[in-house]
Amino acid sequence: MSADMTAQDTSPKLATASDYVELMKPRIMMLVVFTALAGLVAAIGVTGQSVNPVLATVAILSVALGSGAAGAINMWYDADIDAIMTRTSTRPIPSGAIPKDEALTMGLIMSAVSVLLMWIASNVLAAGILALSIAYYGWFYTMVLKRRTAQNIVIGGAAGAFPPVIGWAAVTGTTPLDAWILFAIIFVWTPPHFWALSLVAHKEYAKAGVPMLPVTSGAKTTRLHMLLYTIVLAPVGLAPVATGLGGIIYAVIGSLLTLAFLYFAVKVWRSRAGEPDAGDAERKLAMSMFAFSILYLFGVFAALIIEHGFGLYFSLGGF
Amino acid sequence: MTEPAATVVIDQEALKKAQKSRNAWLALALVAFVVIVGVSTALRIQETDFSGGDRLYFSGYMDEAASEEADREAQARIAARQAEAEAAAETATAEQGDE
Repeated sequence: MSADMTAQDTSPKLATASDYVELMKPRIMMLVVFTALAGLVAAIGVTGQSVNPVLATVAILSVALGSGAAGAINMWYDADIDAIMTRTSTRPIPSGAIPKDEALTMGLIMSAVSVLLMWIASNVLAAGILALSIAYYGWFYTMVLKRRTAQNIVIGGAAGAFPPVIGWAAVTGTTPLDAWILFAIIFVWTPPHFWALSLVAHKEYAKAGVPMLPVTSGAKTTRLHMLLYTIVLAPVGLAPVATGLGGIIYAVIGSLLTLAFLYFAVKVWRSRAGEPDAGDAERKLAMSMFAFSILYLFGVFAALIIEHGFGLYFSLGGF
Repeated sequence: MTEPAATVVIDQEALKKAQKSRNAWLALALVAFVVIVGVSTALRIQETDFSGGDRLYFSGYMDEAASEEADREAQARIAARQAEAEAAAETATAEQGDE
């Protein structure tokens, strides 16, 4: 059986399960879950507190749900600019697979469910920070910062920095200095990570009217800012060694990754990436730095999981 | 001369199939939610020492802060009662002395 319908702006598509998965921004979700897990494992290792594995799994699941919820709300609000940019035009809402209202409803319900589950599985502090991080990304970053200021991802970077704090709070019910150091690593890491991508996609952002730094201040300023943030990230990324949170493995992996990240930042700074006359090599360089930044974050948090989760922590002293 | 309206054919069977699939996933998610809440609550009840003053859905420093606040309030109440009792005793002694 078939029916004739008048054509609309977007051709009707049938939403599949993968469209709903895509609505939750699965790649961001993976990084969020991984850093939350690192916070949780590090908290167990440092404090010696035990946590029921089932409840720990539910807590991590809650973080994943919260991340997905914030992603859905973000896609609901940004549907208009996503449709303009080639990179995002195939997302579920602009492609017509999922109606806007459905995405918002899904985001709001998942937000409530994730916070509730976190509260049930752990404590009110972890649930509160999870709620704050969803609101920070879904409302503050998406609706307030993103279209208003070139510092959008600097300030908005805090949204992605909360997961290890949530993981730590889920175990201990507290957020000590070590948890906030993990927060700071992601917070300082976000600008060079995101600007590397926006150096390549700045024309798209300009077309959509999003004031990313390369659009408002040019590629040269952006490359300088990327270098400065990477320089700041070096001591922040190695701060866990100073506090004793990171041991020998963390020190080795962290140092190597920091050096490599600095190498990429200097190379990009000296290049003409993002300039109108930039060639394919510059584009590839910026994308290499973007890809490496993900490896950096994965590496340092993996080092924490290896040390505290597998009993391979060998102290370097710390204070 | 106006263009004829373009038409798009939608396969109703595919539409129904997709709807069914979404409903199945939704049902699965709801069942999973109920199971997770049930199992988590059971585990929390099992691990909570209610006789020791633990509370089910609160933990960490917020509990400690609340507990310390309760202690302070209790001590303040005891001190106030003691002060009242002492004042009453002094009054009684003074009245006896007058007699």
